[in-house]
Amino acid sequence: MFAAAPEHLHSADQLYYSSLPLWATLIPLAAGIAIYFFKGSWENARKLAALATCLFSLGCVVWMLPLMFTGVVCFDLVNFMQLGLFFRLDLIGWVFAFLITVVWTLATIFSFAYMDLEHNRPRYYSVLIFTLGATLGVVLAGDFFTLFLFFELMTLSSFILVIHEQDGEAMKAGILYLYLGIAGGLCLLFGILMLFSATGSVDMIPALEQLGTMRTGIFVCFMIGFGIKAGLVPLHIWLPQAHPVAPSPASALLSGIMIKTGAYGILRVSLILFSTPDQPGAADAAYLFNTGGAVMWVGIVTMFLGALMALLQSNMKRILAYSSVSQIGYIAAGLGVAMMMGIEGGMGFAGAVYHIINHAFFKAGLFMMVGTIYIYTHELDMSRLGGMFRKMPLVGLTFLVAAFGIAGIPGFNGYPSKTLVHDAMLIAIKDYDLFHIALAEKIFVLTSALTICYFAKLFRGVFLGPVPEKLDRQYPLPLSVKFVLTGFALVIIAIGLFPNLILERLLVPASEMLRYEGYGMDHLYHFHFFEWHPLEAMLIVVVIAVLIYLPGAYRGWFNWKPPYWLSIHALIYQPVTHYLMKFASRTGVVLDSSVDEAYNRSGKIARNWAGYIANVDSGIDRFYSQSGKAARKLADRTSDMDSSIDSFYEKSGEVARGLADRSRDMDSKLDEFYERSAKKARELADRSSDLDSALDEAYRKTGAAAQKLARQTTDIDRALNIVYDQAGKKTREQVEKRLAAKDEKKSLFDRAKWTTKNLSFDTLLMVLVLGAVLFIVFYFSRYL
Amino acid sequence: MDSARVMFLLMFIVFFPILMAPVIFYACRYSVRIRDSLAVVTSGITFLATLTLYPAVSGGEVYHYSLFEVLPNLAISMRIDILSFCLASLASLVWFLCAIYSVDYMAKEHACSRYYTVFIFTLGSCLGIFFAGDLFTLFVFFELMSLIAYLLVVHEETEEAMKAGYKYLVMTIIGGLALFFGIIIVFELGGTVSLAAGHIIGESSVLALLAFICFLIGFGMKAGMFPLHVWLPDAHPVAPSPASALLSGIMLKTGAYGLMRVIFHVFSPELIKGAGWDLILGILAVITIMLGSAVALTQEDIKRRLAYSSISQLGYVLLGLSILNSNAITGATFHIFSHAFMKSVLFLAAGSIIWKTGRRKIADLKGIGRQMPVTLGCFSLAAIAMIGIPPLNGFLSKWTLALGALDAGMPIYVLVLLISSLLNALYYLPIIIPGFFEAPPGEEQEEDDHHHEIKFDIQEATPKMLIPVIILALCTVFFGLTPNNIAYALSQLTSAFLLGGGTL
Repeated sequence: MFAAAPEHLHSADQLYYSSLPLWATLIPLAAGIAIYFFKGSWENARKLAALATCLFSLGCVVWMLPLMFTGVVCFDLVNFMQLGLFFRLDLIGWVFAFLITVVWTLATIFSFAYMDLEHNRPRYYSVLIFTLGATLGVVLAGDFFTLFLFFELMTLSSFILVIHEQDGEAMKAGILYLYLGIAGGLCLLFGILMLFSATGSVDMIPALEQLGTMRTGIFVCFMIGFGIKAGLVPLHIWLPQAHPVAPSPASALLSGIMIKTGAYGILRVSLILFSTPDQPGAADAAYLFNTGGAVMWVGIVTMFLGALMALLQSNMKRILAYSSVSQIGYIAAGLGVAMMMGIEGGMGFAGAVYHIINHAFFKAGLFMMVGTIYIYTHELDMSRLGGMFRKMPLVGLTFLVAAFGIAGIPGFNGYPSKTLVHDAMLIAIKDYDLFHIALAEKIFVLTSALTICYFAKLFRGVFLGPVPEKLDRQYPLPLSVKFVLTGFALVIIAIGLFPNLILERLLVPASEMLRYEGYGMDHLYHFHFFEWHPLEAMLIVVVIAVLIYLPGAYRGWFNWKPPYWLSIHALIYQPVTHYLMKFASRTGVVLDSSVDEAYNRSGKIARNWAGYIANVDSGIDRFYSQSGKAARKLADRTSDMDSSIDSFYEKSGEVARGLADRSRDMDSKLDEFYERSAKKARELADRSSDLDSALDEAYRKTGAAAQKLARQTTDIDRALNIVYDQAGKKTREQVEKRLAAKDEKKSLFDRAKWTTKNLSFDTLLMVLVLGAVLFIVFYFSRYL
Repeated sequence: MDSARVMFLLMFIVFFPILMAPVIFYACRYSVRIRDSLAVVTSGITFLATLTLYPAVSGGEVYHYSLFEVLPNLAISMRIDILSFCLASLASLVWFLCAIYSVDYMAKEHACSRYYTVFIFTLGSCLGIFFAGDLFTLFVFFELMSLIAYLLVVHEETEEAMKAGYKYLVMTIIGGLALFFGIIIVFELGGTVSLAAGHIIGESSVLALLAFICFLIGFGMKAGMFPLHVWLPDAHPVAPSPASALLSGIMLKTGAYGLMRVIFHVFSPELIKGAGWDLILGILAVITIMLGSAVALTQEDIKRRLAYSSISQLGYVLLGLSILNSNAITGATFHIFSHAFMKSVLFLAAGSIIWKTGRRKIADLKGIGRQMPVTLGCFSLAAIAMIGIPPLNGFLSKWTLALGALDAGMPIYVLVLLISSLLNALYYLPIIIPGFFEAPPGEEQEEDDHHHEIKFDIQEATPKMLIPVIILALCTVFFGLTPNNIAYALSQLTSAFLLGGGTL
């Protein structure tokens, strides 16, 4: 949908089309899913697959390095969603990608020993590798849509890393992390949508002129979206909760790498999107100066509050988490200064990116060192630890190196990057001569001193002093842990001793790509870190640190617990979320239920109305029933009349009946007369029947004589019959004998069995044939 | 495709399920298996028959058939265009999958014969709505579906269900009457109600506004628009889960479909915008979105929460309709697809959980992911799509809708969409996260032990219930991930078709 980004940053740059960025993200995503389905007993295969995937991505990234100096690597996957995936890797992105893969590889190796002591390993490795793919995708993305996609994936998958322990604290921290992550994602989406609506594309190209009036809105959305991930104050509240509860290698990645994706986003937005391809116009320069100043101040506040809070913690991992907040502040301050100074901001940009690199190494290393202590002692609280230097000298030594790095001691890697950011601020003071920049510089120095203080506190609490009795045993470290910790320490020292290597090879070309020029760049070309001017600033910091630490430690200032009401959580988040949720749900519920109520009530009113109508109805009904009654009365009366007529009829009937009775009497007299005459006639008849019966007797006697005669003749007949029967029997016997003889003869001349059926058929045939022959003979005999 | 064949297919698609309904009712006298398989086969055949119409409409053609005239100028007629095809294919697909799901789900329930008969009958009447050629036919099928669906709502016959069903019935009748009144006004003003006429009402008048409001009440009632949504959160949760999925996933959409037809065929986008009526719809949509999301937060019952979520999601569609430009209509149509898939998954998965464990309070669903990981996985996928995380389809519809809002110069609408997304996260994640990552009730004592492995005691629902859920969940991924997928392409076609005034 979106056309590939036109080449805007360096028209002379070459475009290399390669699918390597796609594979570098896709393979870890796929491998992450696959690892989950490894059987429980395939412990080594799982580790091997995880390591191989990390190395594969690292190889992909390293492979692309030579291309970075002459151009950019692009890959356009149009066939993805409606919007298409677009990868574009330039030198700035490459630095991040390299950092991610290297630290991820080391963390994976560290996990081998660490996670053997933890539960739920299949899920851990699966999510670890999946998150690598998502995180790499963020920095390899070529447009904001692709970036957003991987950003959301990273938020969701890293959530599972945060809640790995699944106890109450982890769940609480993880859910806060997830909600803020999603809220940040939606803010980001809003910004991207507005960007798309204003410019018609989501490419990361200078577009300040096209944004028009929406530019502040877009900028704020992006800053909130990325700022939540980066942990800028006041959006950092999830960070000190979520980072300590995760398993230590995951904390290292969360703090060392994943918050950098937020910084990366801010970098892309503030330095690329909000720049103009040509010389910035006057109005734009003022706008950039103001927004840059805002970003710088957010960074300054973040670094100071982070350091202050770190100083007041006693949980080791929480100190490191707050320290991450503080260090992100340095990065944001550097980016802000770079943005303020427009085209001359090369120094701030280089310092910020340099600090991102350094912070990744020392913070990831520190989390793993603390993690090593934790996994063997199961203690995170400094007050219950001590003397670990003797028990784990290697951890103590590497910790000291990393702490020197973060504190900015010359010879270790934090020094060059902090110096660059500091110098950028000094240049800004010189250029603009504004009070607020000068104040920012002072806070910067103070924060650097606080950094030294809290590390002194941490080191003293964990490594010095007497060993608690409970922990007094030997701690043999596995080889992989030793390797990883030593690796981190060596990188920190190497960068610290040869700071110009990275500056000249990576950061200066990257700054040139962004077309920085002017005094800042000239300065950057030949920057000497080990001269009096930068060393002097560091010395001041150390002196201030000593001045703060000694009385502070003596008086116990650092054990002061700030009251809950003072925290940002209590001051801003809790009331805001509480009232927002209350408002949303309460108004929603009230509205909903009142609408429901309104319906019910209208139903009731309708029912009442219906009741009235029913009343009227029943009145009519009553009227009808009353008139019915009247009618019934009328009917009753008529029926009375009817019955009187009836009785009249009855009476007349009675009279008639009397008359009839009399006539019946007369009738019976007549009857009697008839009966008497009939008796006389019957007597006469009786006499005649006597005569008749005498005659009958005579007849019967003659009948009996005739019957006797007949019986005698039948006797004779029967005797004759018997005689004939016997004669017949004899002849039949003779015939049967003859037939049997005949059968015997037949069966002799015809072998085939002749059943009766066959017989009859054959005889029929023979008869027919015979008949036919006779017929022919007779027929033709007439002509003969 | 020749005209007679399209005609035959249309008639077949609408009347085959309606005729099969009594057959299914009598089949149960002989065998339960025959009844179940008849329901599945009927919906499957309907789905396939609907798909065969694709070549007829893919080029933007319109087929219109008048069957017979009831009154002069008032005919029963059938019609198909790209929008009808979109919704009909979607409806029959989801119906088919729900039929498969029902076979095992309903085995535990009473009165199955009634259920299947009504289930198939509503399919026919729902498709009749989509294939209606004029407002009168649409009204007839609309009423038929709404009234028959009452039997699905009250299926349980509990007191609660009867109460919800009564409310549903009353609201349906109110909506139907409003609709009827609107149709009469349109007939009076334009002399016809046929969708083939196009822009029946050309200028705004009091009577036209009255007609618009009547349609808004009639169709908005079905779509769960504020303040006519009150029946929805009561009626959807009490129905059996496959029926809830259909009620929320498909039948709500008939309201949105009707509004689309009214806006583009009875009125015209220019008229609506010119008269400022789009603002009425826009404000109601915004209230619907916020209200649905906010109240969903407070619900304890999982199905009630899903029902309120449906209200807010339908608000997105209404919002798209109120913006009335190319991206917004595409987004609204695509969101009809997206929401059908997402909400069906959510209701069916919730139904599986309730069917298997009997737990429906959200607080009781802790650790359910250890028992039913696939079901809860599908649920999570759909919920994440609802929140709008790429690369799932919910993101795509939100993205397109938001672009439409920005094109129209209304960033406030985008803000509403995003706040609602955040609220979606706030009410879906508390189901998913404890479901996967917290111990089930009664097993919480091992917190201190660092070495305990999480035990999966997998007891999924039967395959017939699992497979439709998985297919629908894969649809949420597929229609988000793939470019130029059929749903998005159809949505774009629809948008171009409608805004082009009935031609491509």
